[in-house]
Amino acid sequence: MPTSPNRRDFLKTGLVTTATVLAAGPGFLLNSRSSHAAESASYPDVVIAKGRDPEAMTRAAVDALGGMKAFVKPGDKVVIKPNMSFGSGPAAASNTHPEVVRAVAQMCSEAGASRISILDNVLHSPNECLKKSKIPDTCQGIPNLNVNVIKGDRLFRETPIKDGKSLKTMKVASEVLDADVLIAVPVGKSHSGAGVSLSMKGMMGLVLDRGVFHQRGLQQSIVDMVSVIKPQLVVIDGTRILSDGGPGGPGKVIPLNLVIASRDMVAADAQMVALGTWYGRSFEPKQVSHIKLAAERGLGRIDLDKLTVKNITS
Amino acid sequence: MTFQRTAQSVTLTIFVILLASAAYPYMEGSAADFFLRLDPLAAVGTMIAAKAFIWILIPGLIILALTFILGRFFCGHICPMGSTIDFLSRIAFGKRKLPADQNNYENDRRFKAVKYVFLAVIIGAAMAGVSIVSFGSPLSLATRIYGLLFYPLLMFLLDLGLRLLTPILPIIGLQSWLYIDVPKASFDTNGLIAIFLIAVIGFAYLRPRFWCRYLCPAGALMALPTNCSVFRRRVDDKCINCGKCVRMCPMGAIKNDPKLTAFSECVMCLNCQSVCPVNAIDFGLAPQVPATVDVTRRGLLVGLTSGILAAGVFRTGIDAQKSEGLKPLKSGDPIRPPGALPENEFMDKCIRCGECMKGCLTNTLQPIWFKAGLEGIFSPALMPRLGACATNCNVCGQVCPTGAIRRLPLIEKNHAKMGTAAIDRRTCLVWERDKKCLVCDEVCPYNAIEFKPVPNLTNAPPFVDEMRCTGCGWCENKCPVHGEAAIRVNTSGQLRLASGSYVERAKELGFAFKQKSKTSEQASPGMFEGIEGVTSPADGAGKDTGLPPGFE
Repeated sequence: MPTSPNRRDFLKTGLVTTATVLAAGPGFLLNSRSSHAAESASYPDVVIAKGRDPEAMTRAAVDALGGMKAFVKPGDKVVIKPNMSFGSGPAAASNTHPEVVRAVAQMCSEAGASRISILDNVLHSPNECLKKSKIPDTCQGIPNLNVNVIKGDRLFRETPIKDGKSLKTMKVASEVLDADVLIAVPVGKSHSGAGVSLSMKGMMGLVLDRGVFHQRGLQQSIVDMVSVIKPQLVVIDGTRILSDGGPGGPGKVIPLNLVIASRDMVAADAQMVALGTWYGRSFEPKQVSHIKLAAERGLGRIDLDKLTVKNITS
Repeated sequence: MTFQRTAQSVTLTIFVILLASAAYPYMEGSAADFFLRLDPLAAVGTMIAAKAFIWILIPGLIILALTFILGRFFCGHICPMGSTIDFLSRIAFGKRKLPADQNNYENDRRFKAVKYVFLAVIIGAAMAGVSIVSFGSPLSLATRIYGLLFYPLLMFLLDLGLRLLTPILPIIGLQSWLYIDVPKASFDTNGLIAIFLIAVIGFAYLRPRFWCRYLCPAGALMALPTNCSVFRRRVDDKCINCGKCVRMCPMGAIKNDPKLTAFSECVMCLNCQSVCPVNAIDFGLAPQVPATVDVTRRGLLVGLTSGILAAGVFRTGIDAQKSEGLKPLKSGDPIRPPGALPENEFMDKCIRCGECMKGCLTNTLQPIWFKAGLEGIFSPALMPRLGACATNCNVCGQVCPTGAIRRLPLIEKNHAKMGTAAIDRRTCLVWERDKKCLVCDEVCPYNAIEFKPVPNLTNAPPFVDEMRCTGCGWCENKCPVHGEAAIRVNTSGQLRLASGSYVERAKELGFAFKQKSKTSEQASPGMFEGIEGVTSPADGAGKDTGLPPGFE
C-alpha cells in the first residue's frame, strides 16, 4: 500500500499487516513511489476545492496535496484515466469535464512527464466519444500528450489478481501496467449497477474483459480490480454530477462547483458520495458496497470524520 | 505492364474501393453498388425472374449492348472475378504456357459449351420465377469473395500485424499506431466461399481462366452477341504460324490455325498481339465470319428445361410454401433485413452478393445456409445474438444493387418491422428463477418491454409489447442467459412492403415505434457494446431494497 493512506493511517487503523501483504504483491505500479507516503504526511488526506473555474479548482486541489511534482517525476510515463466513455457533451456529465482533464495533464507536463496518455476503453463509438467529450480538443497543445481509445485485446495484458475474491485475473491495458504513474480523473456520477461510478469503478475503463465483472458480482469485482490497478492520485470532477441516470445518462445533472483530490481512492470516492445528492437523496459512503468493501480490505479509508479534509476556495 | 493488366488493376481497385465504401457511415450517393450493377447476367437474370424491368440494373444491359461492338471486353478488363483469377493464378502458378495443341480452341471445345448450358439453366429457372443468378453471376461471386472472405481476412491480418509490431511501434516513432482499432467482421458460410475460391484458382492450373472458359454464365451471355461484334482480332499475312499466340491465349480462343479466332471466347485481352513476333496481329474493325457460339440446340434445350425443373424443385420444396400466404412451416425463418421486399420478390431480386452484409454496422446481417432452402443460400438474415440492427444505420438498403432491400431513409427503415421478440419463459431469469433482471428492457431502443407483476413471482417479469417491437434484436443480443437467449426475435408481424411508406403503414396498423430519447440522442455505433451501462441480474442480486440501484 505504498501511497494511498499514509503511514500514520496504517498504524491507526491497524491494517499494517494486510497492507504489507498487498504491497508485496501486485504493487508493481507503485513500488517506485513508496517514499511518497512519508512525504505526504504533512498534507491533507482529502482536498475539496470550490469555485467556478474547473482548471483553477483542479490546480488548487492538487497543489494542496503537494503539487503534481509530488506524484510525477521528470521522465515519468503517466496514464490519466478520465471518463470519456459516452458520446455526449460536458453538460451531460457522463464524461469528465475536459478542462479538469486538461489541468491535470498540463500539471503532469509541467512536472516533466515524458509521456502523458489519456486512455479509456469506451462504450460508445470511439469517434463520437473523442469528439463529443471534447477531451482531445481541449487538451491540444500539451507536449508529450496523447488521447486514445483503447480497444482490441492486443493492447491488454493478462494480469493476476492475487487477493481477488471474485476475480483471479483480468486483462489490463499494457500501457497502464508499464506506466510510472496512474491518475484517476473521474466525474461524479451515479451508476445503475455500482451505485456510483467514481475513481474505483472508473478503472474498469482500463480493463478489457469487464463483462465478467457483472457476472461475478460487480461490487466485489471492482474491489478486486483496484487491489491491482490503483491510482496514485485521484482528482474527482464535481463541477457537476450526474445524480441519476448514470452511467450513460441522460439524468439529473447537479452543479456542485467543486473538485476533490486525494492520494486515497477510497477516501476520494467516499467524499464524493457524501457531498453529492444521488437519486434525489443523500447517502453515506458505506452504502455503496464497493467503497465499503475496499475500505474493509485496507485499500483506503472510508471514515471521513477521522480524515484531514482541507476545504479551499479558488 | 500491358494495357490489359493496367485496366484490370484499375477496375479491380475501383471495385474494392466501392465495396469498402459500403460501410457505416455511408456517404449518400457514393454508389457502392455501382460495380455490381454492371453485371449483365445479374441484370438479365434478375429482370426475367422478377418479370419486371429494373431501372437500376441498366448498366448491366449497357455492358451487354457494348459487347456487340467490343466483344467480351468486360471479361478481359473489367470483371473483378476474371481479374482475381488472373492475378491469383499468376501468383500461385507463375506464367504458365500450355502447348499449342492443348490450348487451341478446338481442343476443349466441348467443355466450352458447358457455360451456355449453365446460362440456359439460370434463364430457365428465371423464366419459372426462381433466381439462381447468384450461383454464376461473376459480380455476385466476386463481391461475396471480397466482402465476406477477403475483408474479414484483411482485418485479421491487420490486427495480427499490429500485434506483432506492438513492441517496436513506440521505438520507431509510430506510437499512435498502437491504438488503431481494427474492425472485426465475421461471416457464416465463409468456409464455403473459401473452398469455392480455392477450386476456381486450382482449376485454373489445368486451363487458365478455367471458370471463365467453361463455366461462367455471364461470359456465355456476353458471348452471344460476339457473332456480330465489330471490334475483333485480326491476323494479316505476315503470320508465320509459330503458334505463340495460341499458347498464350488465356481463353483458348485461338484456333488450330492461329489466323482464326473464336470470337465468342476472346476476351480482348490483347495478349496475342503483344506476343506475336512478327506483329501480324492487331485488333480493329473486322469482317463478319461464321458463328463460333457452339452450344448445341440439345444443350440449350436441356439447360432451359433443367432450369425450369430446378425452379420447380425449389417451388415445390417446403421452404417455398410459406410464401403462399401460409404460416411459416418451419421454425426459425430467416429474419430479413429492414426494408427487404416481400419474400418472393426479395428472393427474385436478391443476387446474394453480400454487399449488405459487408456494409452492416453491427455484423448482424449474415449469409444464411439453407434456412430458406437451397436457393436461399447466401441470402441475408439477421443474427441478433451476434449483433442487432442499429437504429442509426440503414446501410444495407443503401448498398443493395438490385433493390431487393429498399433504399429507405432512416425513419422509414426504423419502421420496417423485421419481426417480433418473444420471451422464452423456460429460460428467462425472471420467469424461471425469479431473479431481478431488466436487461432486455434497458437495451430496447423502443420501450417495447414491460414488466407486469404476476402471482408467485416477487420480481415483475418482462412482456413484449408487439406494437412497439421492431424486431431489431437488441434484447436477444444482450440477454444474459447463457447460450440461446431467453428472448428471441421471430418473423411474426414483419412488415414487408414492395412500395409505399413504412411509417404510414405502421401507423395504419397501429404500431408505435418510438425510440427512447436516449437512443435517438446517442445513436452512435456500438452504443450497447459490452454489457456496461446495463444492470445485470448479478448486480441487483434480486433484492428489492427500496433504494436506488447499487446502494444498500
